[in-house]
Amino acid sequence: MPPRMQSRSVSNTLLPYLTSSSSSSSSLSSIPSLSSASSQCLSRQFSATAAPQAQTKLRRQMFEWLNNEGSVFKHHVPGETNYLTRLKQRGGNEGSEASRPFPNNQHFISEPILSEELRNEVYNRVIEQKKSVRVVSVELGIDMKRIAAVVRLVELEKRQRAQGKPLALPYARAVHEMVPTTPLAEKGERQTYHEPINDLPAHPLTGTQIFYPVPESRSFDRVEAGRVFSGAPAMEHSEAAEISHPSDLAEKIMEDPNSIGWVGKGANARQILQPADVRIPHPHLVAQERDRLAHPNERRAVADLQSKRLERQDALEKERRERLQARREKKTTIVSPEESRFDYRIKDTIYTTETTGVDGRGSKATGRRYGVPHRDRTRGEVKIPTRVEA
Amino acid sequence: MVVRIRLARFGNKHNPFFNIVVAQARSARGAKPLEVIGTYNPIPKRPTNLYGENTDARPYKEIALDRSRAKYWLGVGAQPSDPVWKLMGMAGLVAPKPTTFDKA
Repeated sequence: MPPRMQSRSVSNTLLPYLTSSSSSSSSLSSIPSLSSASSQCLSRQFSATAAPQAQTKLRRQMFEWLNNEGSVFKHHVPGETNYLTRLKQRGGNEGSEASRPFPNNQHFISEPILSEELRNEVYNRVIEQKKSVRVVSVELGIDMKRIAAVVRLVELEKRQRAQGKPLALPYARAVHEMVPTTPLAEKGERQTYHEPINDLPAHPLTGTQIFYPVPESRSFDRVEAGRVFSGAPAMEHSEAAEISHPSDLAEKIMEDPNSIGWVGKGANARQILQPADVRIPHPHLVAQERDRLAHPNERRAVADLQSKRLERQDALEKERRERLQARREKKTTIVSPEESRFDYRIKDTIYTTETTGVDGRGSKATGRRYGVPHRDRTRGEVKIPTRVEA
Repeated sequence: MVVRIRLARFGNKHNPFFNIVVAQARSARGAKPLEVIGTYNPIPKRPTNLYGENTDARPYKEIALDRSRAKYWLGVGAQPSDPVWKLMGMAGLVAPKPTTFDKA
């Protein structure tokens, strides 16, 4: 192998460049033979010409631009973006600018976000006026999940303000200027809907193509189709005759969620797929629309009926939630030993042949099972937590 | 042969999880037990919603136990192992395990 080039000679040729920047002291100190004074001598060889006294052309042009054309960008207009591209597309289409926050990326179109006022109004209606999330969602046209998230985040913001923690307000302001926002309606105006609130994701069971011959004499609607998709037998004629419209089922199921039938046995048991009228987030809107069509001239009566319906639904949901919570609390004992750093939550469970199965491999029993493959590494298994325990 | 109530380790490396089982004392830890009567998760969980009066809530460990089966097995002479004794003592099924200080 030929002898390697000494590292010192290399760094000597680099020295003039190194000394020109102030941060090179560490690289210099690694070379003991050169003092800082001698390195300055070396650097002088390369700066023989005097620095120009007057401004360069480019610099002069920069200041010219800043004082004339560019002066509009000096102060930022609140509520607008301050992009250079505004000069190019002056008089262009202003409407599309708001939904395209990045002018050089025409393919990115932003969805609107909630304005500060609307966001605070959501919090006000849910927490201070004690309206239910469902009602506020319908009033303001915001998805129920978003309502819940807004309430949590405003709560968090208030807590941070109370604790005197710094908030990223300039950032929030800048984002609100960049992307379109849904404003809160003025008094007397109609609130613009922020997003569609009654959307329903496609159920995986409906993905299959099924050839299902039906006699012409038989009625076959969404309710029946759901039963076919989930492999349940057709309803009895008397049972089917009771349902005049699929949205009737929504009312029934709201009152008694256990009225949904089951198909399959053991671990494969699943609930019968219900029609979309039942599964949408706001089934009561369908009922309201049907009332309106049935009684076109009695707007007040329809509105009263609807508010009563909502009240009943809220009461039922609240009662169910409380019952569930009470049952959970009854089953759990919390022990806090003095000498321990932890609490122990002792939950009562029941092991019977119903939960463990006859062969002890049942999936309903608490605890890990014996003789059953542990499917934690199978493809598609969701391992991150999907909900927060109370 | 002695019947014991003891812990059987499940879970992965660094992620222990125990079934509380009733088994013959001489059988292996991973062997099929006579009966599973509960679970014990030794990894402490942090309570959520930590604000307001909840701020200094202690982390907790989860135990699930079938009390009636536990009572039955204790009644017919099953002997809890030390860790299970500690858990059952907290559940109020047996007298708490005496500490070294109490014995002296």
